[in-house]
Amino acid sequence: MPAFWAACSEEMIDRPFCGRLFGPGLPGTGIPATGSWGEDGRLRVSPEGAEQEELLAENPVIATAGFNAASLRINWQAAGGVYAFIIESEADSNSCRVSAPPETIRYFTSAVGARIKLDRRFRLGGAFLGLILLLPLIGIGVFLLNSDKVADWAVKHISSEQEAQLGELVLTQTKLRMKILDRGPAVDAVNAIGSRLTTGSVHRYRWFVADRPDINAFAAPGGVVVVYSGLIRSAGSAEEIAGVLAHEVAHAELRHSLRGMIKSLGLRALVSLLVGDASGSVFADAATRLTELRFSREAELEADDEALRRLVAARINPNGMLRFYGKLASEQRLSPSAILSTHPATGDRIERLRQEVAQRSENWVPLQVDLGPVRMILP
Amino acid sequence: MAMDVVDYEIFGSEMQYVEVELDPGEAAVGEAGVMMYMQDGIQMDTVFGDGSQQQGGFMGKLMGAGKRLLTGESLFTTVFHNEGSGKRRVAFAAPYPGKIIPVRLSDIGGTLICQKDSFLCAAKGVSLGIAFQKKLGVGLFGGEGFIMQKLEGDGMAFVHAGGTLKEMVLAPGESLRVDTGCVVAFQPSVDFDIQFVGKIKSAVFGGEGFFFSTLTGPGKVWLQSLPLSRLANRIILSAPAAGGRSADQGSLLGAGVLGGLLGRDD
Repeated sequence: MPAFWAACSEEMIDRPFCGRLFGPGLPGTGIPATGSWGEDGRLRVSPEGAEQEELLAENPVIATAGFNAASLRINWQAAGGVYAFIIESEADSNSCRVSAPPETIRYFTSAVGARIKLDRRFRLGGAFLGLILLLPLIGIGVFLLNSDKVADWAVKHISSEQEAQLGELVLTQTKLRMKILDRGPAVDAVNAIGSRLTTGSVHRYRWFVADRPDINAFAAPGGVVVVYSGLIRSAGSAEEIAGVLAHEVAHAELRHSLRGMIKSLGLRALVSLLVGDASGSVFADAATRLTELRFSREAELEADDEALRRLVAARINPNGMLRFYGKLASEQRLSPSAILSTHPATGDRIERLRQEVAQRSENWVPLQVDLGPVRMILP
Repeated sequence: MAMDVVDYEIFGSEMQYVEVELDPGEAAVGEAGVMMYMQDGIQMDTVFGDGSQQQGGFMGKLMGAGKRLLTGESLFTTVFHNEGSGKRRVAFAAPYPGKIIPVRLSDIGGTLICQKDSFLCAAKGVSLGIAFQKKLGVGLFGGEGFIMQKLEGDGMAFVHAGGTLKEMVLAPGESLRVDTGCVVAFQPSVDFDIQFVGKIKSAVFGGEGFFFSTLTGPGKVWLQSLPLSRLANRIILSAPAAGGRSADQGSLLGAGVLGGLLGRDD
C-alpha cells in the first residue's frame, strides 16, 4: 500500500475514479458514475449517460461499506436527500484517497483501520475455529505419545478390590461364551503349578480350565486365570504349563489388561470426539484396534521377563517355557498372520529368553504334577 | 469478454422453472441436476469448475471446482450449447418451492452476493465464486454461514429462493431488520450485519432467535419468506415416520384427542 501511495502522489490531483451512485430519483440499484475531487476540495460526481447532470458533494462523509466492508462509501446530504457514491475496486479507492483533500484524510485513516481490524478478527477467528476442529486430533497425538504415563497414572488409582471385581465381570462374561471348569483334576493340576508362581501376590488367584481346543490362556485383572484345555493337552510336561502360567500371571501382576483397557478407552473417547458419533464405524474401530495391538506387543516382552523372574524364584525349570514357545512358533508358521497377531514373532522371543535362561543354571526343583491322568479326564 | 445474451421465461407460480432461449452458438451454465428439458440441437457438456473462461490452466480449474465444493455444490457444472441453426430452448427447474430470481448482472454493477446453494443457472461467462463472510458475528449468527456465493459478470443469472420473494431497494443509510436465514441475495454495496434482538425476554421467548440480520443501503436486496431449512424442519416435525404428529384435517375434536385415540393404527 505505501508503495502505491508514493507512486500515485506525484500525479496530478483531479484523478477520476469509478463507482456507483445511489440517491433520490436514481434507480434503486444505482447507476455507474465517475467521481473526482475538484480544486476547491469538493467531490464532483458525474453519472454516466447524458441525461444525468453532474452532482457536487458538500461535506462528504467517507467510510467503509458493503459486504465485508470491502468498498468505500462517500455519503453526502443534498436538497433531495442523502446520496451515496460507492467505490468497489481497490484501485479506484486508492485513486480517490490519493487525490482527496487534506481535511478528509481522517476518514480514510479510520476506513483503513476498520478494514484491518475486520481482517485481523477474521483471521483470529478462523485460527480459533481451526484450533477447535484440530483439538481432538492434537489430543489423540498427545495421548498416543503419553499413553503410558496416562495409563500408569490411572492404573495407580485402581485398587486391587476393584481389580478383583473387574476380574469377576470378565469371568462371568467368559462363562457365557465357553464352558468353564472350576473343579476337577485339571483345575487342581493348574492350581498346583500356579500357586507356586504366585506366592506373595496381593491378588487371590483363581484358576479355571476352559473347554476349548485352541492353545491359549488368559489372565483377567484381579487374579482370574483361564487355561484352555487345548493347551494342557498339547503341553509335554508340567514345566511347559508353568511357563505359560508364569507368562499370564506376569500379565496380571503387571496389570497389562487394565492398562490396555484404559488406553483403548481413552483413545476411543478421543476418536469419537474427532469423528463425531461414529465410534462403531470402521475407521474408528480399525484405528483403535491397531493401537491396542501395539500396546500388547510391548507388554508381551515385559511379561516374558517377569515370567522368567517368577519361574526362577519358584525354582521351576524355565526350559519348559522355551520348549512350549518353540511348539507355538512351529504352529504359527502354518498361519501367517504374525504381523497382526497380538504376539510378537515368537522366534525372537525364544531367542531372547534362551540367552536369559542360559545365564541361570540353578538346581531346578521338578514339578510333582503328573499330566497323564489329567489328559485322560479332559473333556 | 462479452457475455451471451439469453432470453428467458419463467413458468409456474410457487414451484417454478425457467426456460432459457439460446441463439445459435450461445450457451448457458446450469447447476448439476437442475435441467428439466432441452430441445433438439442443444448439446450438454459437463465441465469441471464453473464453466467460465476466466480461469486458465488446470490449477485454475481445480481452484474453481474446490470453491464450488465449499459452497455446497457439485464439482461439476453443466454447459448447454445451442449447436443448432435456430433458437432452441432449455429449461431449469427450481429444486424446492419458491421463486426464481432473474438478475441481469450488468444492471446491478456486475456482482451479486447470494446465499450458498441458491444458484440455478446463468448465461455462459458468468463466474461463480465464493465470498467469505469476514464478519465473525454475521458468519456465526447471521443464518447464512461464512460462505456465500458471488456471481460476477454482465449476463443473466438465475438464483432461487424459498417461499415468496421480496425484492427491496434500500436508499442510502436506510436499514432493514430481517430474520436470520431470510436473506437470499444482495448487491455488494449493501452492508450485511447482525443486531441483538434487544431484550433478553424477546431473545428467549420471542422465537426469533438472539439476532436479526440487518441490511443497510444503498442497494437492492432479495428476501425469501421461507428458508428451505425452516420448511424442512416443519416437515420433519409433522412427519409421523420421524416421530411427528399426524393431524387429520376436519376432525371434530381436533387431531389431539380423537386422532390420538383412533388414529394410531400404525
